[in-house]
Amino acid sequence: MDRTVPPTTQAAATEAPVEDLRLGDVAMNQTVELVRIDLPPEQAEPLLERGVLPGCRICPVRLSPSGDPIVSVDGSLLALRRETANCLCVRILSELQDES
Amino acid sequence: MADVHPAAGGGISGSATVDRPDRVPTVALIGPPNSGKTTLFNRLTGLRQKVANYPGVTVEKHVGQVEFRGGASIDLVDLPGVHGFSARTLDERVTRDVLEGRVDDLPAPDALVLIVDCTRLENQLMLVEPVLDLELPTLLVLNMWDEFEERGGKVDDALLAKRLGVRIVKTNARAGIGVEGVQGFLEEVEVRDRGMPPPVRSLTNVPRGVPLPMVDAFKARRRRVREVVDNADFVQPGPSGSSERLDSIFLHRVWGPLSFLAVVILVFQSIFTWAIPLMDGVEFLIVTSGEWLVATMPESWFRSLLIDGVWAGVGSVVVFLPQILILFLFLGVLEDSGYMARAAVIADRLMYRVGLQGRAFLPLLSGYACAVPAILAARTVDDERDRLATIFVTPFMTCSARLPVYALLIAAFIPARPLGLRAAVLLGLYALGIVAAIGTAFLLKRTLLRAEPTSFVMELPPYRVPSLRSLGLRLLDRSKIFLKRAGKVIFGVTIVLWVLTQFPRTDQGPPLIEDSALGAMGQFIEPAIAPLGFDWRIGIGLVTSLAAREVIVGTLGTIYGVENASDDSIVLQDALQRSLTPAAAIGLLVFFAFALQCMSTVAVMRRETAGWKWPILQFGYMLFLAYGGAFIAVRVFAFL
Repeated sequence: MDRTVPPTTQAAATEAPVEDLRLGDVAMNQTVELVRIDLPPEQAEPLLERGVLPGCRICPVRLSPSGDPIVSVDGSLLALRRETANCLCVRILSELQDES
Repeated sequence: MADVHPAAGGGISGSATVDRPDRVPTVALIGPPNSGKTTLFNRLTGLRQKVANYPGVTVEKHVGQVEFRGGASIDLVDLPGVHGFSARTLDERVTRDVLEGRVDDLPAPDALVLIVDCTRLENQLMLVEPVLDLELPTLLVLNMWDEFEERGGKVDDALLAKRLGVRIVKTNARAGIGVEGVQGFLEEVEVRDRGMPPPVRSLTNVPRGVPLPMVDAFKARRRRVREVVDNADFVQPGPSGSSERLDSIFLHRVWGPLSFLAVVILVFQSIFTWAIPLMDGVEFLIVTSGEWLVATMPESWFRSLLIDGVWAGVGSVVVFLPQILILFLFLGVLEDSGYMARAAVIADRLMYRVGLQGRAFLPLLSGYACAVPAILAARTVDDERDRLATIFVTPFMTCSARLPVYALLIAAFIPARPLGLRAAVLLGLYALGIVAAIGTAFLLKRTLLRAEPTSFVMELPPYRVPSLRSLGLRLLDRSKIFLKRAGKVIFGVTIVLWVLTQFPRTDQGPPLIEDSALGAMGQFIEPAIAPLGFDWRIGIGLVTSLAAREVIVGTLGTIYGVENASDDSIVLQDALQRSLTPAAAIGLLVFFAFALQCMSTVAVMRRETAGWKWPILQFGYMLFLAYGGAFIAVRVFAFL
């Protein structure tokens, strides 16, 4: 059975994030870096294909009328469900890192 | 490679060029959704294109010819837009199969044209690597180059080409700029591969052993893409100001849902109001041409078959052409402009609550014209369970084939006063469909298609002005497909029906309708429908309308022996009033709101779900609802 496969798509396994910040909690126009996708692989796949990969920069730019986040990733605009956004672990980039 | 061409008599080995002088090279056009793929395809092929289905699935296959000076040509295949090759969706599966040469009646491509929207270059280049792994000559088309530069994007395309090892052409497909570069590439393929045997993969029965890279490679691939673009002095274009301004309206907390509603109302208004004069025009043409035929042909059984059978039957369907074209015009504009993605986002919460998702909005809206293209449109729903649920509820949307049935029965049985009563009944029937769809989706997601809630991600492409050329070609496609269907199905049914009314012959000629083979059929099923208050005549109508709902109108016309049967025929209404009680008429309306009286839908479901399980389940379920609903309606309204 593939039950043994860990249900998350792991980032580089080295640094486990101390704080558990989710994309859904990020303020508008605050660029963050994706750390981990807490979704089973088949659900993570559509995200991966659209460039939502651990290490990428995501910036919430708008809320949909129903309050779901719309984010910008590498120049593409993606609409997510709140529930999906809450499965994306992110970390805030410091000013210095943001410059680079 | 031995059995290349039976006509080649030379027998000289290695003379493949001589053996297959007529083989036309095939080039596949691939790219992510909304990258301008189809626009480029239309630019290159114009009217020289054919639409068909891939064997086994109903994913549409567009193959067009690109012609060069001197009469040479290549076949260009327009593949569905994909984000990857995971085989998660039908589109991706088909694209993969075509690229790997595993589709029966389509040779493996000799070369590839990969088109990307360069305003989203980094993301879209993710497709490049798996495509290059096929090791076919590839042209990379950087489309929407003008917009990319306008927004401050930069990339050294020569360096990019070198790094990727492909040729690059910069285009603005909508304006036709740079298209000659693509044409040049295709011509080279033609010169090189004309008469050459197709790539080896299609010749042998290759096992499914040439897989394209899968999900695990994403991060590595991403890194390589970044490296490539960084080395090509890539500067990400700034956000599109106009798109942002439009989104601040269309995705606004208040204006967003309001404009969404306005769009839906506009679509309905156009189908049901503005299409009417056009439909009247088409009907006028059919009736006058029929009368002209009557006047010119001598009285004979053949004239009777042609006029009463074929002309009336096919005509009753062709009348819907304007309505369907208007709907597809709107859908085309909504899709090409980029609004449809926003509509899907707005609809998602609501859909999610009943067990569907935002992408189901487009198929369900299309379902108001016709369930067949709507079920095809459900392919864009990327979760398999969601897609099945969407397909399953689509036939509950009140398609335009129900309209003539509703129109006839309402005109015959619902009083014109108080004013608005007829419209209210019609609206009620639409609402009945929606309620049944919601209930069904709710039920499915708790039983057969139970699943953990899935994730939802929808790309919002920049807003763009739709190309008239693409819209026009699409409408032309739709007309052809629709008329072909009307031709085949309705033509067949009307002929069989007509023949059944002519036998067994009596001394005086054709029998009375109740003595004919058709009448016998109706009387056979009468006991089953008697509880609903339907007699054998309606029974025949129910049987013939299995082919397509609107057929019942023409059938009842034939049965009641009414000349020139059409939906607004006063005579037919009189005849109906004599054989149906008002309560039974309401029952019949309810029956048609629910029953899956459409063989085209059943056929398309079988192909899209790859088996008989779903169509049979659907047919049984809808018949059960129809019978039960009609039974209750007849009882309830008998007391009113």
